[in-house]
Amino acid sequence: MGPLIPNEIITGQWDFVIALLIGGAFGFVLEASGFSSSRNIAGVFYGYNFVVLRVFFTGMIVAMVGLLYFSYMGWINIDLVFVLPTYLNSMLLGGFIMGLGFVIGGFCPGTSYTAAAIGKIDGMVFAGSTLIGIFLFAEFFPLFEGFYYANNLGNITIGEMFGLSNEVIAFAFVVIAIVAFYVTWLIEKRVRKNMTEYKFE
Amino acid sequence: MHVHELNPKRTVIAMVIFVVVIVVGLLTLTNPRLKYNVEPPQAITITTDFSSGVNAKEIDNLLSASTSPTILIDIRNHYEFARGHIASAINISAVELLNKENIKWLNELKEDQATVIIYGESHLQANSPWMVLQQLGFDNVTYLSGGYSNYMQFKNTKGENNEFATYEADKAKYNFAEIAKETLGSDVTNTSKKKHTIVKRKKKGKATAGGC
Amino acid sequence: MNKNYLFLALLMIFLAAGLLFLPERHNYQQIKPQDLMWEAVQTTRYVTVDQVANMIIEGDPTLELVDVRDIDEYEKFSLKNAVNIPFDSLLCPNYQDYLGIEDMNVIFYGNDDIKADQAWMIARRMGYQNLYVMNGGLNSWIDCIIKPQRPEETASLSEFENYEFRKGASIYFTGSKIETSTNKSSVKVVRRKKGAAVAGGC
Repeated sequence: MGPLIPNEIITGQWDFVIALLIGGAFGFVLEASGFSSSRNIAGVFYGYNFVVLRVFFTGMIVAMVGLLYFSYMGWINIDLVFVLPTYLNSMLLGGFIMGLGFVIGGFCPGTSYTAAAIGKIDGMVFAGSTLIGIFLFAEFFPLFEGFYYANNLGNITIGEMFGLSNEVIAFAFVVIAIVAFYVTWLIEKRVRKNMTEYKFE
Repeated sequence: MHVHELNPKRTVIAMVIFVVVIVVGLLTLTNPRLKYNVEPPQAITITTDFSSGVNAKEIDNLLSASTSPTILIDIRNHYEFARGHIASAINISAVELLNKENIKWLNELKEDQATVIIYGESHLQANSPWMVLQQLGFDNVTYLSGGYSNYMQFKNTKGENNEFATYEADKAKYNFAEIAKETLGSDVTNTSKKKHTIVKRKKKGKATAGGC
Repeated sequence: MNKNYLFLALLMIFLAAGLLFLPERHNYQQIKPQDLMWEAVQTTRYVTVDQVANMIIEGDPTLELVDVRDIDEYEKFSLKNAVNIPFDSLLCPNYQDYLGIEDMNVIFYGNDDIKADQAWMIARRMGYQNLYVMNGGLNSWIDCIIKPQRPEETASLSEFENYEFRKGASIYFTGSKIETSTNKSSVKVVRRKKGAAVAGGC
C-alpha cells in the first residue's frame, strides 16, 4: 500500500498537506516534551536532564519497530522509503556544529520555532539566525563543495552496511536505547543530588 | 522551577494504541490466495527450455494414449473455440484458470499426475499463461508448441516431418548479420554494434531531507 | 523510577524481539499472480515494428530497446542503441538499473516475440513498469522495415501510406536504396468531359 506518493495512491501535490500535518504534530510533541525550554535541551550536556535523548530515542525505536511491522503486514514497501545519502565528512562536521549550537544556543532548529511560537525572545533570535546561517551557507557553498560531497556512501542503511537484516538492527537499537535510558537515569540521579531546584523522584 | 519529563501515563496510552494497531494488523493478516512457488531465477531456467512444449506431431498420440490422463485446455475465447478446436479440448480462458474452483481442480490434476496441455491461437498466446501456471508451481502444465494455427497447418499439410510438426520458437528467420552486410553501406556496418550504457541508479523514493 | 517506564521498556523489547521471530513472508513487491495473468492476456504490451522504427527515427528520448538474445547474436546484429540483456541473465543485479528507470519505455525484442514476451513476464512479475514487447521481433523487423513488400494494388490507402513509411525507414536504417523507386507520379489526366452534346447546328 504505502508509501502513498511513490505508489501513486495520492498525487505528489499532497506532500505539502502531509508535511503540514506532520509538522504540526512534531511541533506539538516538541512543546509537550518541554523542548521549548533551553534548560532541558542544554541539560543533556551538563548531565542533569536527558529528556531530549529519551524523547528522540523513544521516537526512533517506536518508528523503527512500527515501520518493520507495517512492512511485514504489507502496509508499506520499505524499499521505496527514501534513505538520505550519507556524506561522511559533512555528517561528522554537521553533527559537531549542531551539537555546538545545542549547547551554546540551547535550541535545535525545530525547538527554536516552538520556542518562538510560545513567545520566547531567544527562540525568535535563534530561529532568525538559522535563516542567516542558511543564507551564508548557500552563498559560500562553492567554497566547500568538495568537502561537502566527499566520502559519499550513497543511500546506505546500517543493515546494508553490515549485512544484517533490518529486524536485527531494530532489536539491537531497542536494547541500546533501553540501556541508554537506564544509564542516563543513573547519571541524572547523581548530578541532580547537588542541585537544589530539582526534585528527583 | 518546573522540569518536564516524559509523561508516563500519556506514553503508556500512546504505546497501547501502537500495540493495538500492530496486533489488529497481525490478526487481520490474510495470506494471498495464490502464491508463487517458483522463484524468478528458477522461472527463467524453466522457460528457457524450449523443448518443454508438446509438438503438433506428438499431441494426438499423447491424447489417445491411455497410460496417463491428459487434459487439453483451449484458452482462446468462446467464439474462436466455437469456430474450431482440437477434439477433446475444454474451453477455459487463461484468467478463469486462476479461479478458486479451477485452481482446486488443477491441484487435483497435479496430484493425479495428469498432464495439462494449454493452447492458444498462436504459440505466443499460450506461452505467458503457461509461465504463470509454472510459476505457481503447476509443473504438470505444458503447452502446445506453435499453437492452434500451427497445429491446423500441420493437419492440413499432412506432412509428418515438416516445419509445422516441430515448431521452433524464437528462431531467427534470417541471418541478420548477412542482411545487415548486404543492405548497409560497407562503411556503416559497425555503427549498430555500439554498446549503449545508461548509468543511473534506481532512486529510493523522492528526496525530502528533514531534521529536527 | 516510575513502574510504567519499566513496563514500557519491557514491552518495547518484546515487540522488537517479536520482529525477529515472525514467520517469513515476502512477495510484496512482486505483483499478484492474478494480476500477472490478467496482464498476460492483454495485448497492450505489444508494439509493432513500425512504431519502434518511428520512435528510433524520431529519436524518442524515452525509448529503451532491450535485446534479450544471447550476447553473440547481439554482437552480430542489433537495433540502433539497443542494450543487451540476455534472457537468462535478466535478473543479474547489474542489469536491474536498466529496467527501473523512471519515464523510460523499455521495449524487449528477440528473434521472434516469444523470448521477449518471456522476459516481459519475468520483469513484470518483479514489478517493473512501462515494459513492452516488439511484436514479431527481428524477423518481423526484416520483413517489414528492411525489406518492405509492396502491398497489393487493391490494398487500402493506409496500407500504401504504411508502405511509404517503411520504405523511408528502410532507407534510413540501411543507408541505401534497396529497390528502385516504383513511385511513379501518377498524374491522372482527367479530361474534361464534353458534357452532353450541345446540340447545335444551324
